[in-house]
Amino acid sequence: MRQLARSFTAFLKTGIGVMLQYRGEIVLWSVWGLVNPLVLYAVFKAGAQSNPDQQIAGLSIGEVAAYFFTIMIIGHLSAAWDTHEMGWYVRTGRMSPLLLRPIMPIWKSLADNLSYKVCTLVFVGPMWIFFALLIRPTFDTAAWQVALGLVATLLAIVLSYTFNYAVALIAFWATKLDAVGEIYFGLVMFLGGRFAPLPAMPGKIRWIAEALPFQYMAYFPTWIFMGKVHTRSEVFLGLAAQLAWIAVSILVLRLMWAAAVKRYTAVSG
Amino acid sequence: MRLFAKVSILNFAAYRFDMIVRMLVSIMHLAADLIGVWTIFSNTKALAGWKWQHLCVVVGVFRIVAGGIRMSIVPNMRRVLEDIMDGTLDFVLLKPVNAQYLVSIREFVVWRIVDVLLGAIIAAYGCIQLNGYMPLGAVALFVFMLLAGFIIVYCLWLMLATLCFWFVRIQNIEMVFWNVFEAARFPIVVYPNWVQWTFTFLIPLAFIITFPAAAFTGGMNMIRPFHIAMAWIMAVAMFILSGWFWRIGLRRYSGASA
Repeated sequence: MRQLARSFTAFLKTGIGVMLQYRGEIVLWSVWGLVNPLVLYAVFKAGAQSNPDQQIAGLSIGEVAAYFFTIMIIGHLSAAWDTHEMGWYVRTGRMSPLLLRPIMPIWKSLADNLSYKVCTLVFVGPMWIFFALLIRPTFDTAAWQVALGLVATLLAIVLSYTFNYAVALIAFWATKLDAVGEIYFGLVMFLGGRFAPLPAMPGKIRWIAEALPFQYMAYFPTWIFMGKVHTRSEVFLGLAAQLAWIAVSILVLRLMWAAAVKRYTAVSG
Repeated sequence: MRLFAKVSILNFAAYRFDMIVRMLVSIMHLAADLIGVWTIFSNTKALAGWKWQHLCVVVGVFRIVAGGIRMSIVPNMRRVLEDIMDGTLDFVLLKPVNAQYLVSIREFVVWRIVDVLLGAIIAAYGCIQLNGYMPLGAVALFVFMLLAGFIIVYCLWLMLATLCFWFVRIQNIEMVFWNVFEAARFPIVVYPNWVQWTFTFLIPLAFIITFPAAAFTGGMNMIRPFHIAMAWIMAVAMFILSGWFWRIGLRRYSGASA
């Protein structure tokens, strides 16, 4: 365990070093996360303005701003991209040297993920403040909701990473399917509330979203921060669901990893 | 140009499974766009006056343009960036053909036409839903505006690629385009005035998607002659500007030897 902690710290240090070298690139990568919510805010605001009550899906324009502003931040913090990269690692054989290490590749990947978020904070932080001043979100939140929202955000980040990694492992079997990353991304967008608040989604899609973990990756914390989860019991129920999904993800991950490594060594020799 | 296209098709038929997967992915992207429109219009009747039929056309036009970009512009621009970095642009410069022309037509990814076709189908659907039929005048105007828009897209890409002469390591410059292009997924009327102004005069996204879409649905009702003139003046101006910028960049190029 101490061995792992030391290695992980080392991974973090080198990860941050690498990110700083590629500071131009990581800025570019983070731009989409800024542009997309703003575009959607403009769209839903226009939609609200066309409605007689100036609301859309029960949200006022200020609340629409609050939604996309908050999900911009939480979405950035809970970003995970192994579904996009795993296929490439497996196909090009880059996985081989990583498997020779006594530490699972997931730890290096996690360190890179965190390094990216730490390094981009310098750029996106001020942008978030600027956008808040620009679109003027309105919040109606109690202190306890903020506190529990932070807990939910932390769990969301963990869930987002573990579930993404578990899905990414499909790449060990479906090596030609680069589409895994795209499909996953689409699911996160629509079922995870990134495109629109879940109450705005058409009924059939909402129903599917209820059964899946994507809503807990960014939507649930956002909804708490907006003060829309009104009772403590609802919040705790959601937190429990997050923990449950994290447990499921880790379990699936471990099982799939064992099978994946076996298959990889069998196929690539 | 035909020779390059033929080679691309031959290369491609050899990988049929890939082709099916890629087509499915294209359909998936279109489905995602349409789910987006469905979601928005489950909650409202219009976006600044643009109804769901209009948005279908916008989605279609976006697909057509994105498909066209990935078919003919992106592969060429990527190759130019590589050539500049590796110094192999020399081989282009040695040919008796104009360098800008050659680097712009070398690569052609035929299968991307799927996106263009899917986009055209959805755009046609939206137009018919709105008007009951497809007015030929609107189609002609649409193609005319789309052409202007596409020239502007090409010029934007050329200018981005030209930056590589100064900042050699900007392989990711492509992302800059797609990130900003995200904003063109919706008609620019949804944005505040200062953003609309930016997207018309500074980064002419408006002419790429919004204007052609308006031409297709509204014909001469939505597009005034003034708009047509503006689009084409912008296209010509950008063509001259980007060509000039490219020549300046070319002068800076030092080549593989020297």
